[in-house]
Amino acid sequence: MSMRSQVYEWDASRGTPATASNAGNRISVFIGGIGNNITKPAETTATEFVVIEDIACSPSLPVGVNANFAAVATDPIRGLTFNNVGGVAGGRSYVQVRINTTDYFLDPDNVPNDGIPGASSPYPRTIDFQPSFNLYPDVYVLPGQVWDMLVTFYNCQGLLFGAAVGIPNNAVATCDAGELQAFCKYTLYDGPDALIANKLLEMGISINPGNVDWYKRSLLASQA
Amino acid sequence: MSMRSQVYEWANLAPAGVTSTLRRTTADLPKALVANREYDLFIGGVGNNITKPAETTATQFIVIEDIACSATLNGAVQIRINTTDYFQNPDVTDMVGIPGLASPYPRGSSTTVVAAAVTTAAAQVTAENLLKSFDLYPDVYVLPGQTFQILYTPLAATAASTQVVSAFVKYTLYDGPDALIANKLLELGVTINPNNVDWYKRSLIEQQQRGAAAASAAAAAAAANGGGA
Repeated sequence: MSMRSQVYEWDASRGTPATASNAGNRISVFIGGIGNNITKPAETTATEFVVIEDIACSPSLPVGVNANFAAVATDPIRGLTFNNVGGVAGGRSYVQVRINTTDYFLDPDNVPNDGIPGASSPYPRTIDFQPSFNLYPDVYVLPGQVWDMLVTFYNCQGLLFGAAVGIPNNAVATCDAGELQAFCKYTLYDGPDALIANKLLEMGISINPGNVDWYKRSLLASQA
Repeated sequence: MSMRSQVYEWANLAPAGVTSTLRRTTADLPKALVANREYDLFIGGVGNNITKPAETTATQFIVIEDIACSATLNGAVQIRINTTDYFQNPDVTDMVGIPGLASPYPRGSSTTVVAAAVTTAAAQVTAENLLKSFDLYPDVYVLPGQTFQILYTPLAATAASTQVVSAFVKYTLYDGPDALIANKLLELGVTINPNNVDWYKRSLIEQQQRGAAAASAAAAAAAANGGGA
């Protein structure tokens, strides 16, 4: 089992749930202290190679401000809580990948941005919320590197913070299950397959299970 | 990390008292849009903007792979490279670009937002789920040293109850050696994508290996013939 498809799902309602006071801050889905976390920062050992193939987070929907309603509408739009102040349904969330200290996604002025919007890479995917973005080329985490996924949400009134419907920016109420989630799909190459992954990287060949198998076959063929 | 998939998302949202912002905030509010006016997503002065016009340096190459915008307000999105608009009418006159109906963002959203005469928040959004009719293929290349703009044009103005619209661009940034390879592929007439850049790298490595093997074979042959040159 030296090439393994892996998934990490983060939900802001688990563990220490997110509150409105977390809005606008970058939250590490691994060790951020909010939602479900792991025991230590995500890092690759000297014999591991990680290829991140997909990232996604909870979607949002731009709607608009409607004078007919109160600040926070009590009925959802396509399953998302509607904030009638900001005019957006859902958390307006983004997800960024960080390798060591470098953010992967940048604005065109080369300034790191919030990352991929949940509106373009939604999790979960539904008929209402479909992806516009696919992570290609993949993101490589080389042996010995630390990596992280950072979620930022801005529309705290677009998240139904517990029973605090109609109370914008209520810092006490917490996030409900499924309201703010993030998802990462990656492949973990371990041991000899990580060495092959490094070799493929040197050769300028995309690292995926098919190419790792091809390299193994070519080694066997050259020995025969 | 010299080939990176990048995304830029714009919305007509900014804090109270200003029309644009460099960083998104939790207090962002919708900003009014005028009908038939082009809004530069990067430095247009409305919604979230960046610090300077989008341009490639001498060691960067950008391939724009997708553009999309909200279908509401009959919005459309155009690409401008330096001063040239990419999408034109058949008579070579200017047009507003790709309609949000053809390339919707978010994908699966509705065609219209009903502002008046609704009793529930959910009723503001019509029931259909828009899918894309348009695929940006071939991709649009932004060569080193060029400036590019993504222009959003609503054909209708925002109503008194201000609507929120957004636009989206997905591109791949080639930097450093990969930008040089992208230029080389352009000269060769080969499509620029991560696969082809990798293919070019492999072919360079193979050439070097063949050259090294030929040199060592020549040296061995010279030695067998009683010495070097």
